[in-house]
Amino acid sequence: MIYEIYHKTLFRYQNLVTFSHNISRLKPRQSNSQQLLSFTMETEPESFEESEFVDQFGNTNTHLLIRKSHHSLVVTGKSKVRIYPEVIEAQIAQIKSNSMTYREALARLSSFEYGDLEAKQFLFASERIPKGSKQIQTYALASFHPDRDLFEAGYEFMERIFEDFKFVSGFSDVTTPIEEIFEAKQGVCQDFAQFAISALRAIGLPARYMSGYIETVPTDGKEKLFGADASHAWFALYIPRAGWISFDPTNNMIPKEHHVLLGYGRDYRDVAPLKGVIFGSGTSKLSVMVDMRRAD
Amino acid sequence: MTTVDNYISEASFDEVFDQNKTIRSHWSAIITHLEKAGFDGIESYQSQINWHLEDNGVTYNIYDTPEGIEGRRWSLDPIPFVITQEEWSDVAKGLRQRAKLLDMILRDLYGAQNLLKDNIIPAEIIFGHQGFSAELHSMGIQDNFHLYFYAADMARGPDGKMWVISDRAQAPSGLGYAIENRLTINAISQELFPGIGARKISGFIEEFKNLLKRLSHQESAASALLTPGSHNETYFEHALLSSFLEIHLVTGNDLLSKNGAIWLKSLGGLKRITTLLRRVDDRFCDPLELRSDSRLGVAGLVDVMRHGGITMINPIGSAALENIGLNPFMESICRYFLNEELLLPQIATWWCGQQKELDFVLENLDRLIIKKINPESLSQAYFGKNLSYEALQDLKEQLIQNPHQYVAQEEISFSTTPYYANRHIEPRNAVIRGFSLRKEDDYVVMDGGLVRVSAAKDAFLVSSKEGGTSKDLWVLGEPDKSDASNILKYTPYTDTSIRNVPTQKAENLYWLGRYVARSIITARLVRYVLKKKINLYRDEETLSQAYQEILQNALTHLTMTYPGFLRNDEEEPIDAILEIISVIKDTDRTGSLSFTISLLTNSHINVKSLLAIESWRFFDKMHKEWQNCIYQSGKLNSAFLIDGLDTLLIHLMAYKELIEESMFKEQGLIVFNIGHKIESALLLISKTRSFLCFKLDKSVGSDVLEGILNSCESYNSYRAQYKSALRLKNVIEFLIFNTQFPKSLIYLANEILEDFKTLPKSKSHLASYEEPIFRAYALLRLADVHALIQIAEEEATYCQLDQILSQLFKLFSAGAEEFSKTYFSHTDE
Repeated sequence: MIYEIYHKTLFRYQNLVTFSHNISRLKPRQSNSQQLLSFTMETEPESFEESEFVDQFGNTNTHLLIRKSHHSLVVTGKSKVRIYPEVIEAQIAQIKSNSMTYREALARLSSFEYGDLEAKQFLFASERIPKGSKQIQTYALASFHPDRDLFEAGYEFMERIFEDFKFVSGFSDVTTPIEEIFEAKQGVCQDFAQFAISALRAIGLPARYMSGYIETVPTDGKEKLFGADASHAWFALYIPRAGWISFDPTNNMIPKEHHVLLGYGRDYRDVAPLKGVIFGSGTSKLSVMVDMRRAD
Repeated sequence: MTTVDNYISEASFDEVFDQNKTIRSHWSAIITHLEKAGFDGIESYQSQINWHLEDNGVTYNIYDTPEGIEGRRWSLDPIPFVITQEEWSDVAKGLRQRAKLLDMILRDLYGAQNLLKDNIIPAEIIFGHQGFSAELHSMGIQDNFHLYFYAADMARGPDGKMWVISDRAQAPSGLGYAIENRLTINAISQELFPGIGARKISGFIEEFKNLLKRLSHQESAASALLTPGSHNETYFEHALLSSFLEIHLVTGNDLLSKNGAIWLKSLGGLKRITTLLRRVDDRFCDPLELRSDSRLGVAGLVDVMRHGGITMINPIGSAALENIGLNPFMESICRYFLNEELLLPQIATWWCGQQKELDFVLENLDRLIIKKINPESLSQAYFGKNLSYEALQDLKEQLIQNPHQYVAQEEISFSTTPYYANRHIEPRNAVIRGFSLRKEDDYVVMDGGLVRVSAAKDAFLVSSKEGGTSKDLWVLGEPDKSDASNILKYTPYTDTSIRNVPTQKAENLYWLGRYVARSIITARLVRYVLKKKINLYRDEETLSQAYQEILQNALTHLTMTYPGFLRNDEEEPIDAILEIISVIKDTDRTGSLSFTISLLTNSHINVKSLLAIESWRFFDKMHKEWQNCIYQSGKLNSAFLIDGLDTLLIHLMAYKELIEESMFKEQGLIVFNIGHKIESALLLISKTRSFLCFKLDKSVGSDVLEGILNSCESYNSYRAQYKSALRLKNVIEFLIFNTQFPKSLIYLANEILEDFKTLPKSKSHLASYEEPIFRAYALLRLADVHALIQIAEEEATYCQLDQILSQLFKLFSAGAEEFSKTYFSHTDE
């Protein structure tokens, strides 16, 4: 399955900006199940300097210095990605068979295990995701019984978020506290992902914030409008010995052939598609346009 | 009775007296001299010390105190903390080992992470610590990623050995204060403690300079000290240290990153900086990749590090070493990396992230001290023995919930040392901060240090933030012969070239010049108007309506406090006196005198490091008296306000003089002058338009002429020049066109053009900012005063005069704007 993805991010500034440093993260990751066939990125105005680096999680970042006077900055990434659903299925099967109970996982995580080192980066509160409160822990523990298999518990946990939380856009933004989302039981994909991560970490399990895209199908067989899509977010849970398993609580599914992964980190901040620092005063506004469609 | 008779220490170890109450031999000379001086003598040395510190303006700002930015005085005990050379060389050896070890930890954590992979340190201690900046991953292998400057806090344990209490690895503070203490104590030590030799500390400063030179490839001008700014608690120290080390003192706004390098914005253009001694905390260093809300850093700094374009002292990310959770593992780390035993003992520490340790801690909670590895404040600790049953249960719950976040430590009784307070000498706990620098593959340790003394007799927690005082540390022994003692002198460091003046500093000086001029001119006019209003001049006739309006409108125009007196007839009339007082006092009102003074204060604070200390003190006095005047004039006592304005004006004039006297043109005085002249020109034009462009009755006319001359403090010079009655033509000629009178507009224009010639971007052809001023000058030279005041019978205003003034205003404004753009923005470089 091959997808073409168009992802445009736009900063609009209140005042004229003459110098700005930015970091964009628009290049999708590669893995056994996801191959990046091509990628191009354009900026308007043209950048004065551009350099790529790979961050601590393996995501590709591009540092952009803009030195032309501008009122807005547009960074557009175009990528072509091939997804291998059969590889994903095989991976899920493997994880299922290697999974362990919650009790076993906690015991293993509290001791030294070379293979778990990388995952321990995702065990703690991060800038955007504080440790979940007692109430949030209780909510999570309803699925995570000590002797329950982690894969099953994770799956049920995802299902419960899907059931209990209402998808409401406009209620929250990237700064809405997780406790507020939990209280109101509503939000968007990003909120559900961050809530889940906060809860899992609070009960001692490593969890990642996953950022990417999901294929949408227009209703009533209508022609799909260009740019009608949005970027998407979900979470991944670490099962010791087995590995990382992704869950999409917004759509109640394990991401397979409809999801494309852009990057992952501890929270949204680690993978924000575009961030910048301008010299001078005034506010800025970010807007995004995404389109994802099949190429084959 | 002798001075130490009542000195009784209950600590298990006292610095001076051994268990048999006998004076330890290395203290005997000190004690003998103290006995000899007696309390009267010591008291007088203490006041000498206080005088020296005050004279040098040594401050330690504390956040959230009523003293605010004015800071609190640093205090220093006349009795030093003495230590023998033999003991110190052991301590120094231990410090060097610890520095080496921490350097290896730093490089490993941001490199291969073998400490984690080989299970020497549990990963949770690193990943769960906010000091670990994962953004810096894999930079630890770079040649210039080292712990260059390291400090440790130490105290003497019950076994008589120096123990390490905590490590300072990001941006250790205190070195500047240690130097200041030494210089201060030098002033009295030859009299109070004759014949006692202490090792000099100047050699360490030399080492520091050499390190900076090596790191910036022998070009010392390519190093800078990055300070959070003059509001920071230790800004005084930053200014001091940068001057001792002879490097630039900069804030984040002085720097920008491009081409994989860091650049200092200066009047001559962008200048490469290759070494940054930073006093900004890790997460605040780069708003792009670290804390996005930081205003103290340089956007793109982390990426420049990634490209190896800058050496940081110390690297961003070294806060990972300031982690008390590492303590229990230091022994193993030392064996792992160096195959040695740890030389300096530490307080026994248990990390609660391991089950066995957690169980032990829970069991013994009532006799342990509990600390967080991510403390909200440095001194945050829970003393188990002081907690109530409920608090203890709460703490237990916390430990079980977040075991990774906690350590427990044994409570240790540290040594006491004599401290002089109000005519007696008492035992106090003390913490020594020792400093070390990287040199080749090893470290050098300063033969001295900063000693901080607990605030109260039985308080062990020592922190400059929580009060307390300091001591000098004397390592007894012969001073090093090769020491050049004259290198420790405090003079603000700048390159003596106008090209190298940092842009931000220049911009602040420029605005300082403008605000000084604006404050003076506003104060003069408002004082004149107020005096006229309440008839302090004791004129025989009452103020005519027409003249009143001119004065009031002039005030509104000059201060731009619109609508002010310029109201439509339909609008409600305002109380004139109330309005004038508001224009004087309302700090929140844009354009008011108090508002301008607050802008002036900001500029002053920003250029503080360039000014002589007497101007700091003078400014503080002015500021305080003006605040007092405003505060006390609450009862609308106009006469009282006029007194205050008089004082303010005298202070402002003197402050201006002090600046002009104490700074070289090349240090930026020229920019201050340009700012002052541009502002003076603009306000003179504004005043002339308000006062002289209306046709008036003869009777009112001469009042108005006298008024404008008076409000410019130019009446006497006018009389000296013209000796005749006041005439419009003469007054205009005098204030605008007189090439000999230093306050006239044409004189100012000419001077601005002359000043421009000395600037780095001045060329043979006119620069963009010179052109408008040159046009203004030409316009003034070519003007015919006669023609300007021609007026038809039916006209109410001198249109031509108004027109030329309006044109001139635009030209001066354009010149000012182009000037700012050319020198302060760096957008095209």
